Amino acid sequence: MADYKDVVEKVADCLVRAGSTFTEDRKQAYHEAIEVEDTEIAKWNLQTILENAEVAERDRSPLCDDTGIPHVIIEVGPDKALTGKTMDAIREGIKEGLKRLPGRPMAIMGDDKERIDMSGGISPNSEDLALAPVLVRETKEDVLRVTVLMLGGGPAIRGLTQRIFHKHNINVVLDEIVKRAKEATGLLGCTPCALAIGVGRSQFEATSLMMEALADADFSKQTEMENYITEHVNESGVGPLGLGGKTTVLRTFMKVGPQRASGVRVVAMRPACCFEPRKASVEL
Amino acid sequence: MEIRTIEAPFSEEVLASLHVGDIVNITGKIFAGRDAVLPKIVKMIEEGTLKENGIDLQGGVIFHTAVSPAGVGPTSSNKLEIEGTMPELTKAGIRMHLGKGALKPETVKMMGENNTVFAVIAPVTALLNSKVTSKKCLAHPELGMEAFYELGIDGFPAVIAAAHGESMF
Repeated sequence: MADYKDVVEKVADCLVRAGSTFTEDRKQAYHEAIEVEDTEIAKWNLQTILENAEVAERDRSPLCDDTGIPHVIIEVGPDKALTGKTMDAIREGIKEGLKRLPGRPMAIMGDDKERIDMSGGISPNSEDLALAPVLVRETKEDVLRVTVLMLGGGPAIRGLTQRIFHKHNINVVLDEIVKRAKEATGLLGCTPCALAIGVGRSQFEATSLMMEALADADFSKQTEMENYITEHVNESGVGPLGLGGKTTVLRTFMKVGPQRASGVRVVAMRPACCFEPRKASVEL
Repeated sequence: MEIRTIEAPFSEEVLASLHVGDIVNITGKIFAGRDAVLPKIVKMIEEGTLKENGIDLQGGVIFHTAVSPAGVGPTSSNKLEIEGTMPELTKAGIRMHLGKGALKPETVKMMGENNTVFAVIAPVTALLNSKVTSKKCLAHPELGMEAFYELGIDGFPAVIAAAHGESMF
């Protein structure tokens, strides 16, 4: 593993890339969506989002002023170790990255009550924004890999984690996801969205799977279930920025975990905005 | 595609000529405020303290954004404390609410009755940063990025999403 300073530098750079860059597969998905749309406004909205991404990547500046809450997923290979010292360096790298991007200064100060009602005030320092709980997963690759995701507030408002009674029919679950997604994307504003879904046995597991779906998102790959959800949500006609069109959801990313012998499935859904998943990875 | 340039604050005639689906470039001076500060601005309206703070809302635009080193970009206008303050802000002179997300039919109706429009702007912070020519905090600096600002802008691209009681939602 790289030394402490190298880890800080790598993670800081990773955060800046996450907050300022569209991956090539996502750019291609936008180009395809522009072709599919048949109104000038829908095309113009998609083109404007794409132009913004080009400027942000060139300037290494934020894609969106809501630069998001930093989330980290760490993959640990069979012969790799994640030490407390490495965790310290990752945390330091996140702080440094927030200073460089710069992250929006939106950490709330104070005790539990003050942080809930915001009476403790807002820190003026970007780097005071605390890292969310870290998700660790195993990989067969011989790597120690950090993925940084920056999660904005709009999708957090419209996201939902709740059970679905499956009635021993997959379409019951998929159609309920479509129903929830139509409602969420209608109010989101920042469409087209990348719909992230996790299906698990508990709220924790479903949300973890949803985070993995965001981390692994590849806009050039879709499963039959993901296509089904995308196509049916797009029937709503909400379109780019909610102003009408065929592209309400650009892609769906779904992870299905182990399930319990029960009539219930816990489904976490995040209607990630037009810039999400803002993600980047680095090997330490 | 025709893109019309309009300068804020707006005259009643300019507002009357705007229609749903128009694409505009907004220039001039606009206000910026969101969840935390807009209810406080309503309180200032009620207490009659806007003028002494150098704030004149007549014909004005309120952009639902934070103002921070990260830049500017719309937050959801349908948040409780934003959409909920639109009637009072409109009554006090605001003529364009600028943000994103679908509004309630009653809000669209209220704006239509007051020659007021809702414009949607994409959250394109990297593009918008080069179009902000000045920033000045007007009220509640203690709110940091959520304080009430005046922005000088040169060509913010937006779509008229609600006007004359009609909307695109």
